[in-house]
Amino acid sequence: MTDQDLIERYNYDKFVPDKFMPWMRFGESPNLGEKAPDFPLWHAETQKETSLSEIWSSHLYTVVEFGSFT
Amino acid sequence: MNEMADKYASQDVGSIFLYTHEAHPGEIMPPLRSMEQKFDHALKLRDDYGVTRPILLDALDGACHRRYGSMPNMTWIFNRSGIPVYKSDWSDAASAESAIQYYLDVAQRRRNKERLSPFRVERLDYRNQDQDQFYAGLERNGPRAVTEFRDAF
Repeated sequence: MTDQDLIERYNYDKFVPDKFMPWMRFGESPNLGEKAPDFPLWHAETQKETSLSEIWSSHLYTVVEFGSFT
Repeated sequence: MNEMADKYASQDVGSIFLYTHEAHPGEIMPPLRSMEQKFDHALKLRDDYGVTRPILLDALDGACHRRYGSMPNMTWIFNRSGIPVYKSDWSDAASAESAIQYYLDVAQRRRNKERLSPFRVERLDYRNQDQDQFYAGLERNGPRAVTEFRDAF
């Protein structure tokens, strides 16, 4: 799968089971109590790059809600 | 979730909204095809839904979201060392607040020199379902989002 294929499949154009179900893999997500994987992120307002680790290391605890407009 | 963020900010609890992909794309809010579009959608979320927490964007291919299980509206809580202590396949403020209160108590007990060992627990939490509000949200995305959701379930 090319990067462009991945982008188009992940950002599916229709909410139909064949397109959204393959992505829902909560059971395969990182374990609690083990170091979590880090990823680059971008601030919505400034577009500046940061990282998940920079976010979580800024506070005693950090609540991360994943979601979108839709 | 915004209220909870405000409530616990003074106790060194951070809160962010991590923008992923359009779970229910429609004519008004189409699927994402560029980071520029993703920035636009994130700011529209901030303005239309009144998200007061910092909004951070994942990469266009959803690298972070996919690695964490790709659920459309999940919540994770991390400690300062990057250890996830709570994960929920759906976001519910009451559930997340219950967890935060527990972990703040753990932090206090550690400051009191208690010797604590972690263990894993699973449980089911319950949330209110507001179908009217949910469908109103779908309508904001465009008529197709409503139709596709009805057809899917």
